[in-house]
Amino acid sequence: MEILQVKDLKKYYGMGENQVKALDGVSLTVEQGEFLAIVGTSGSGKSTLLHMMGGLDTPTSGQVFVAGKDISALSRDELTIFRRRKIGFVFQSYNLLPLMNVYDNIVLPIKLDGVRPDEAYVEQILLSLGLMEKRNAMPNQLSGGQQQRVALARALAAKPALILADEPTGNLDSKTSQDVLGLLKVTGEKFGQTIVMITHNNEIAQMASRIIRLEDGRICGQRGDSAGEEKALCKDGREVEFHA
Amino acid sequence: MLKVSNRKVTAKIASTTYKANGKRNLLTIFALFLTTFLISVIIALGVGYWTTIAQRQIRMEGMDYDVELTEPAEKQVEIIREMDEVKYAGVAVKCAIVNTYEDKKLDKMRLYWLDDICWEHQTIPALEEYTGHYPEKENEIMLSGTALRSMGITRPKEGMRISVTYDTLAQENAQADSAGEEEASASTENTGKDSTQADTMHAGEEGIRKEFVLCGWYTDYSGNNRGYVSEAFFRETGVKQTDLTQGSLKISLKNPLYTEKDIIRMQNAVGLERMQIIEGDYDTISSFLKMSAVLLVLLAMIFASGCLFIYNTLYISITKDIRYYGQLKTIGMTSRQLKGIVYRQALWNSCIGIPAGLAVSAVVSRLAVPGILHMVNPTVSAGQVTMVSGWSFVLAGTFALLVNLLSSRKPANLAGEVAPVEAMRYVAGMYGKKKGKKNKKKKMQNSRRQAAGDHKKKKRRTAGGQSVVWQMARQNMFRDKKQAAVIFLSFIIALSIFVTVNALVRGNEAERILEKTMDYDIEFKNETTLDEDERQLITEEKIQKLKNIPGVKEVRKVTSTPAVVPYQEETYGEYLKEIYETRYSPGNYEEDMEQYKSDPSWYKFQSRLIGVDEEGFALLNEKLGNVLDEEAFLKGEIAVSPNFFLEGDAGMKDKTVHFSLPEGLHPEKEETVRIAAVGEANVNPAYFAGGYIPELIVSEAYAEKLMGETFTELVDVVYEEPFSEETEKAVKAVFAGESAVSTYSRLDRYHEMKTSENQVKVLGGGLGGILAVLAVMNYLNVMAASVQARRDELATLESIGMTVKQTKKMLRIEGAGYALLSIAGAMIIGLPLSFLAFQAMNVYFISFSIPWSGNLILFGCAFLVCVTAPVIIYDRTQNASVIERLRDKKCL
Repeated sequence: MEILQVKDLKKYYGMGENQVKALDGVSLTVEQGEFLAIVGTSGSGKSTLLHMMGGLDTPTSGQVFVAGKDISALSRDELTIFRRRKIGFVFQSYNLLPLMNVYDNIVLPIKLDGVRPDEAYVEQILLSLGLMEKRNAMPNQLSGGQQQRVALARALAAKPALILADEPTGNLDSKTSQDVLGLLKVTGEKFGQTIVMITHNNEIAQMASRIIRLEDGRICGQRGDSAGEEKALCKDGREVEFHA
Repeated sequence: MLKVSNRKVTAKIASTTYKANGKRNLLTIFALFLTTFLISVIIALGVGYWTTIAQRQIRMEGMDYDVELTEPAEKQVEIIREMDEVKYAGVAVKCAIVNTYEDKKLDKMRLYWLDDICWEHQTIPALEEYTGHYPEKENEIMLSGTALRSMGITRPKEGMRISVTYDTLAQENAQADSAGEEEASASTENTGKDSTQADTMHAGEEGIRKEFVLCGWYTDYSGNNRGYVSEAFFRETGVKQTDLTQGSLKISLKNPLYTEKDIIRMQNAVGLERMQIIEGDYDTISSFLKMSAVLLVLLAMIFASGCLFIYNTLYISITKDIRYYGQLKTIGMTSRQLKGIVYRQALWNSCIGIPAGLAVSAVVSRLAVPGILHMVNPTVSAGQVTMVSGWSFVLAGTFALLVNLLSSRKPANLAGEVAPVEAMRYVAGMYGKKKGKKNKKKKMQNSRRQAAGDHKKKKRRTAGGQSVVWQMARQNMFRDKKQAAVIFLSFIIALSIFVTVNALVRGNEAERILEKTMDYDIEFKNETTLDEDERQLITEEKIQKLKNIPGVKEVRKVTSTPAVVPYQEETYGEYLKEIYETRYSPGNYEEDMEQYKSDPSWYKFQSRLIGVDEEGFALLNEKLGNVLDEEAFLKGEIAVSPNFFLEGDAGMKDKTVHFSLPEGLHPEKEETVRIAAVGEANVNPAYFAGGYIPELIVSEAYAEKLMGETFTELVDVVYEEPFSEETEKAVKAVFAGESAVSTYSRLDRYHEMKTSENQVKVLGGGLGGILAVLAVMNYLNVMAASVQARRDELATLESIGMTVKQTKKMLRIEGAGYALLSIAGAMIIGLPLSFLAFQAMNVYFISFSIPWSGNLILFGCAFLVCVTAPVIIYDRTQNASVIERLRDKKCL
């Protein structure tokens, strides 16, 4: 079942000669439970694509369907509500609220939805991510890896259909990166969630079940279970490198 | 060590940062602009207001002097004029009393002669305006506005003939007159009452006819029925400046703050005669200190408010600065260089904000306010109301600059104190004092309890995440305790200043002063009262007419009749002895008592029986502190006596008085009444006095029982709506054309004061308005700065699911919290402060009342600003997409 569908998505900045095409007609679908990695160099448009998928940014044209709903047709508040219920975000810079402790940060989106947190579920997440001991700590008392795990826990806690992770290991060392990614994958599988992650690190991307490569705002290659084989689609004819 | 030339790069960074922080700097510039503007305008308006109030006070006195020497001899005048501490000393002598103008009976119009010094230096400054010149020829006269009105002259002209009858106050002519004259004139100034003994003696006397020529007239606010005459006329009356209570030397001191010691020194220097005194207010220094203390506290609060205003704006946006300076520090910038950047930016902000504030305040205080004042009071030329010199601008500008520089150091110092990486991760409120273990423990317990409780409950929706929004709003308000304290302090001070100044301005309104000093709107007085052919001019029919006029709330009838009170040792023994020891002594005690005992009806010791109706009783009882037994009073068992000459009850309280009424139903019958209370002169509602034995104020019912038909001396009318022109017109019509009924109206006095009152109102209102603006702007700027500073956090919240609606609700709750808590703080601090300030400056003994309407309007505005401004700012600044706002955060 398709959980995410992106149709001919375009995002242009500026006009005329100065126009920058951050996304130039991207279309893709993501199945439920899939772990998709989007890779590409800096400026390839991968972050822009992820933000469009999560409704954090508005496209110039094209549509994004999450769980069958066209999110580009939603108002600002409808989108926010939809996001907190259906989408969990993990940001590269964590975006934790500095004056709330770990627990409060994690349950905040749930509480904002007027729902009492499923405590057993939250505890399970805390345990899985090794944050049980830190539940009362403030974000500035945590290391980068710990903060990213809190961000991950926050994304998982509302049981979203889709987790969007924007370079979740960008600020972490390789060991911590592996740990966080491992946890992301395991918890995603455990809780049956779909994960879309962007990274510029091929090694990290290998942990995904499918990889899409973006270049100059276009998909120039993908490899994965459903595709069955690698495709080299980049316009310069360069073979797409999926291996670390 | 080699000198490193890095000034350019520091300047470049400062300039780039300054441009990048455009919106925030705009807020700072605005804060500087407003603070400079408001402080200089407040000082300007405050000084102007104070000057106007002081001037009005002098005009209400009718003459500007500090102390006076009674009955001065020529030699004494010379000695005083030569004294170093004396600025001016002018002689004023009361020499005659005008009884009638043409056929109209007058309410005792006093004629004075003033010497040049008294007229030029002590009287002219106390006049709002005057036309013509001081009388020079023997038949010239200058009249007060009140005198002209009482004569019915509405359009005075120089050279107009004024035919009057008058009595001179020459000692041989009216020796006993002096007894009450002086006090009477003093009491008239404030109460309009004239319970003088003198009139008793004039009853039935033939006046001297004279035709004066009107050479001028003047307006002051004293309400005195007075005229000025030439020296030639004064000499002709035979009155001497040394006659008891007639002559006085008005002394203006170089330093108006004097003590009792100064007066005694002056007394010793001039050598006082037996009856002479130097009258002065020995409380001038303590009054001055109280007033100065209030003004200093207010000034300090205004400066503190301005200081906190700037500090708040800068402090709120400190987080970003510290992170930014932390970043600069990581790349090698020293604390000194950081401070350089900070000072540069602060100076640039100052260079824009402060001159702009000064320029606008100059326009307002030097052009707009004087222009408006000139419009409302044409007697004041625009030049006269240029209120303050440049010092207030210099003061305001320097103050704003210093506060800005000092407040700006904070981020640089903080960035300097903490390690660069810590600085980059700085969050407001995170580096305060460490929380105690107790709090931490409590927090953990709460968290666990919350977790345990939540675990048991099934998933269910609450009211749309309301509780978390409230919780977050509360947390945000107090996230940085120091900041919260500064914000609250700033709000509370701004509101308290307004509340205090508002109370002071209200207390200085002419309406309230007149309401306090006159307990009726209009008084109609039968001027035939003491005549042999007294006529019942204020009839029951007319009183009923008054009562039937819509807008009339109360009509208090006061009746009176002469009463013969034989010598009674037990009741009046102490009183009479004390009287003879004062300067108002009627003469020789032993001789007088002998005559009094042998002739109880002797005019010198005649009393009057005053009848008051139920409304009059209520007022009388209120003035006495509600000590009277109403039933006993109505039955005629008890009476009240005013003590005009002495303080205290002089042994009269609770004593029984035997008296008879020559004009009563049984003239020879002795009646008895107990004096239940002795009050001050102002408890007596009657105007006309008898001899030295105090009046007996009884119930009208009792008076009627003794008299049959009582004689109405006067009626006091109170309106539903004080100062109502419409009611006044209808009320005056009842006695129109009745030349022997005089009127004394509060509205007439108000009209006299009106032009300057407009000035007082413009300045007072302006002052209150500016302070309200300061308070509201304080809220506005702080709220705006607060939202602006939390841009990133609000974007993060939106990214994880906080809707715009929820965010706005959170901001509104925060705003409402700030408003309500600060309003409560202002009530707790501001209201008692306004009471203290009011009492310290309460010249007219007006009772304190809270100007609720003004205060509530300001509180409402503050509340409205608090709940709307953050949302408006949020709408205007947070309209980019979430990711753009989050990206901004990363950039800086």
